[in-house]
Parts: sequence; structure tokens; C-alpha cells
Amino acid sequence: MATKVLPAHEPRSIGRSLLMTLPIALWSFLMLHGWYPQPNRSQLMAGILTAAFMVVLFFMMMRTWSTYRWRRVFFVALGLLFPVGFIHTVIAMRGTMGIPIEEMIAGRTPFCFIPIPLLILPAAFTKAIVFPGSILPNGGMSGGGMAAMAAIWLAITIVVGKGWCSYACFFGGIEEGMAALPAKATVRKIDSRWRYGPWAVLLAMTLLSLGLFESAYCMWLCPFKAVSEYVAARNTVGMIQNGIFVLLFAALVIALPLLTKKRTQCAFFCPFGAFQSLFNKTSIFDVKIDKTRCTPCVLCQKSCPTMALTEESIAKGETLMSCMKCGACVDACPKDAAVWHIRGTEVAVKPERARLMFLYAAWAMAIMFGGSIIAQGLATILHVFV
Amino acid sequence: MGLASGPACVASCGPVLVPSLLAERTGLRLNGRYLSTFLATRLLGYLLFAAVAWELGTLVSFRTPERSWIFAVIHLLLAGVLFRYAWSVGRACNHACASQELVTIGGAGSHRIPGAAVLGFLTGVSLCPPFVAAGVRAAEAANVAAAMLFFAVFFLGTSLWFVPFAGFGWLRRNEAVTTVARMAMVLIAVYYLYAGLMTLIRKSAYGY
Repeated sequence: MATKVLPAHEPRSIGRSLLMTLPIALWSFLMLHGWYPQPNRSQLMAGILTAAFMVVLFFMMMRTWSTYRWRRVFFVALGLLFPVGFIHTVIAMRGTMGIPIEEMIAGRTPFCFIPIPLLILPAAFTKAIVFPGSILPNGGMSGGGMAAMAAIWLAITIVVGKGWCSYACFFGGIEEGMAALPAKATVRKIDSRWRYGPWAVLLAMTLLSLGLFESAYCMWLCPFKAVSEYVAARNTVGMIQNGIFVLLFAALVIALPLLTKKRTQCAFFCPFGAFQSLFNKTSIFDVKIDKTRCTPCVLCQKSCPTMALTEESIAKGETLMSCMKCGACVDACPKDAAVWHIRGTEVAVKPERARLMFLYAAWAMAIMFGGSIIAQGLATILHVFV
Repeated sequence: MGLASGPACVASCGPVLVPSLLAERTGLRLNGRYLSTFLATRLLGYLLFAAVAWELGTLVSFRTPERSWIFAVIHLLLAGVLFRYAWSVGRACNHACASQELVTIGGAGSHRIPGAAVLGFLTGVSLCPPFVAAGVRAAEAANVAAAMLFFAVFFLGTSLWFVPFAGFGWLRRNEAVTTVARMAMVLIAVYYLYAGLMTLIRKSAYGY
């Protein structure tokens, strides 16, 4: 984790930073209208606070030349406020966090992107989608329908690749916050083979989804069911399922990030992350290591929250395909050797321009997707006081 | 019927076949041999089941308690074999065929039975939906030979759907692929273990 940021430059001037933040500010306030067309008082306050929050963070990214620490503030806020708004909505609509199996089968569950890759194969074989949500507009509690959500996801993914996992995913923030808490990692030596975990979960859950004709990951392995909607425990099986969710959440999202200072659920478990890695090949943005500047001190490797850098990959001048473009390595490098890069261009030629182009795309997505979730969570809290 | 049920058969056997096949070495011939062994013992399982079930006269009216026992035992055996397979692949790594390392029935030495054979047989006797459907149809046969013939033809129809899996031989194997296959096998084995134990517990507690 990037515990120490070593800016290679003097802070950018306030005026220039403001000018560079202007497009994001306009986008934020445009989105504010989108979040709440006819807001009540708490929603209006939440929307303004969220828009200002996103603008200030982007301004700081511009002023300090640093990405990771400001993005982390947003991401942790997203991770913490998502359950607040979500649980409130679920309880308001259903009266409980527990989802009965018949609701799941009927597709009356909120949209979640994680099962998407697990269900492609079952859909191809059976010509049916065993997805716990509706494909139609106004279907499910998300209201948007799976098709619309999947289209948004695809559009974003093509541009930022696995950047989704650092700028849009509403699950990763809790563990990133946990990983940021200790000053030093207690467990430092991690077998690099655990990096293959997400692929194994993806393979096993895809095959089991195919065999059982149900979303096996949602039914059995999702750690975030512990903070979103669990299976209504009407019998022993339901209790076992919920027990698994809680154990996985406690281990992968709380305990292991505290011990390792890594995003362990994302790095070693999340099947969607594995799938999203494939789209790093389609994204025009990536992170490279300028071999002419690299010493190599491996600070970038140590700072990476998902172990997406190895000594071999550094020697090759690139990150592994699991890179989430969080910016930790770029910020941690004392020699400016880890750089943002646009495919097809020379490495380390105008890397700040590449960073800006990536950040405009990623932050616009973060505001649109994460901003609405943060605003919803804030509005839920403010509603109690206002 | 076999052709029509093929996708369901692939879905049912996929969790066992795919990771174990991925754990094999690269090579079309090697993977083809693995698949052949798997399918051959699957056929053996089919025929054995057809013969026993027909002889006992319970192919159609197979009662839930017996079915639960079979489900539970097969799931537990599959879990055990997959665990063993994942472990043996780790030991054999990329240098030797994992299935040859697998020691199962009969102990060590010359009595080694390839993993593909064990897995094929166990999936062959597991009561997946297409298999039960075929069982109902076979029960109408005049004698045991006709029932077995029906199952053999049914097997041929479903097997066509498995042929593309030989293409896994073209996939390059490295530490990443082998490790992913091993980890997936462990996860799937845990599921089978759970399914087997739950069936046993349910049967003990509620009698079905």
C-alpha cells in the first residue's frame, strides 16, 4: 500500500489546478441533477456535498500530482456509504435484509455486476439467464434492468479496463479502508500463487452455475452478502449460506487486509476482478515501468494493493493484467519510473498527459456511478438529522 | 435423446471434467486420451447402472431414500477424488500426468487407477436429470440387454457434446493454468463434500 507519497514535483498552482478541475466540476453538478431531479432537503444537501467532495478530491489530484491517496478517500467513502443506502432501500421496500429464494428466482433483486461473467456460459448452453435480477427495464430493485446496467458497465470497461475495480466497484472500498489502517503489514510474505485465486473462483463458480442452474457465487460465496442482502435463513441451508458469507467477509474484507495491507478479496478471490482483467487488453490506458529510470527498488511492487507487479514484470517494464490502475505504484515510485501510459505511444513520453486523460475518464465514471451511491448513502444519514 | 440431453450432460459433468482436464499436460493426443478414458468409464457406469437398476426393477420407481444414499455417496466420493487429484497435481506439477499419479482403489504401485477413469465412472453413475430421463425410457425395454443398448446409444449421443473438450489440448499449460485448475478442483470438491454431507444429515434427521 502506498503509505508514503513522494511527489516528484512542486504543487501545481491553484489557478491551473482549478482550471483543470473545471470540466469535472461541471460534470459533477450535471450529475447532481441526474441523481435527484426533484430532491427533498436531505437529498439536496447530500447531492451538493457529494458533488463538492468529488470536485475537491479531483482538485487535490491535480494540485499534488498524486492519484492514489485521493482516489482512496473516494473509494473508502463509496465502500462505507453503499451499504447504508442499500440496506435502507432494501428494508424500506422489503422490510428485511433477507431475500427469500422465490424473490431471487423471480428476478426481483437489485442489480449486481459480479455474477455477470459467471453466467455467460450457462446462458450460452441453456439460452436462459440464471441471474438474480431482471433483464427488463424497471426490473429488480435497481429499477434500471440488467440490460441497461450491463451496457453501462461494458461502455465503461472498454475505456478504463480493470480501472472499474478502483473507480466504480462499490464493494472494494471497505477492504481498502481496512488495509489503510495499520502502519505496517503484519503478514508480509504472501505466496504469489494466491493471485490465481480469482480465476479459480471464476472457473469453479461458472461450472457450478452451469451444473446447478443457479448463480452459485451469489448463493454460496459472495462475502458482500454480509453487508447487503443475505439469504433469508428459513432452514439449515440458509443458515450455512449466511455463515459462509459472514466468515468470508470477516476474513477477506476485514482481517486479511488489516494483516497484509492488501485488498485481499479483490486480489485473491473476486471472480469479477479476474474477468475484468481481460478488459485491460482492450483499454487504451495502462501503467508502465520506464526501464531507463527504474533502479529497481521494488517500492512499486510493495505498494501494489493487489500484487499486480512482480520482479519479472518490472524487468519487462509492465504490470500484470490484474493491474487495477489505482495509481499506488506511480505515487510510490521515487524515480518517476512507474508512469501512466496510453497504448501505442512511447513509454514515459508525457506521462502526466496520459494520467490526465485516464483520470478524466475514470473520475467522470466515478462521479456518475459511485457519486450517486455516495449521495444516496449520505441522504439516508442526513434524513435522520434534517 | 442423447443428442438433445447433451448440453445438460456437459453442464452436469463440466465441474468435474473441465478442471481435471486443465490440470493435464498440453497436447491434443494426451487430452484426447484423458477424455476417452473419462468417457469410456462413464459408459461403464451407465451400463452398470442400467443393468443393476433393471435387474432390481427399480429403475422407474427408484425411491427417494435410496436415491439420497446414492447421491450422498457419489458426491462424497467425487469430493474425495477431486481433493486427491488437486493434491497429486501439486506434487506432479507440470512434469507428470496427474491422473497417473492418482492412487485410488487398490493402493499404491501397480494398482494405480487413472483419475480420469474414476471421475468418469463416478459421473457415469451419478443421477443427473438427463440420466434419470434416460432411465425412465430404458425401463420400458423388454429385457436387460435392450436397456443396456438404449443406455449405450444414449451415451453415444451425449458424448458428441464432449468431443470439443479434447481441444483443451491446444491450451498452453503453465503454472497459472495448473494452479487455477487445482484451486477450482478444491472449491468444487468442497461443494460436493457439502452436498454429500447435507444429504446424509437430512436423511438421518428427516428420513429422506
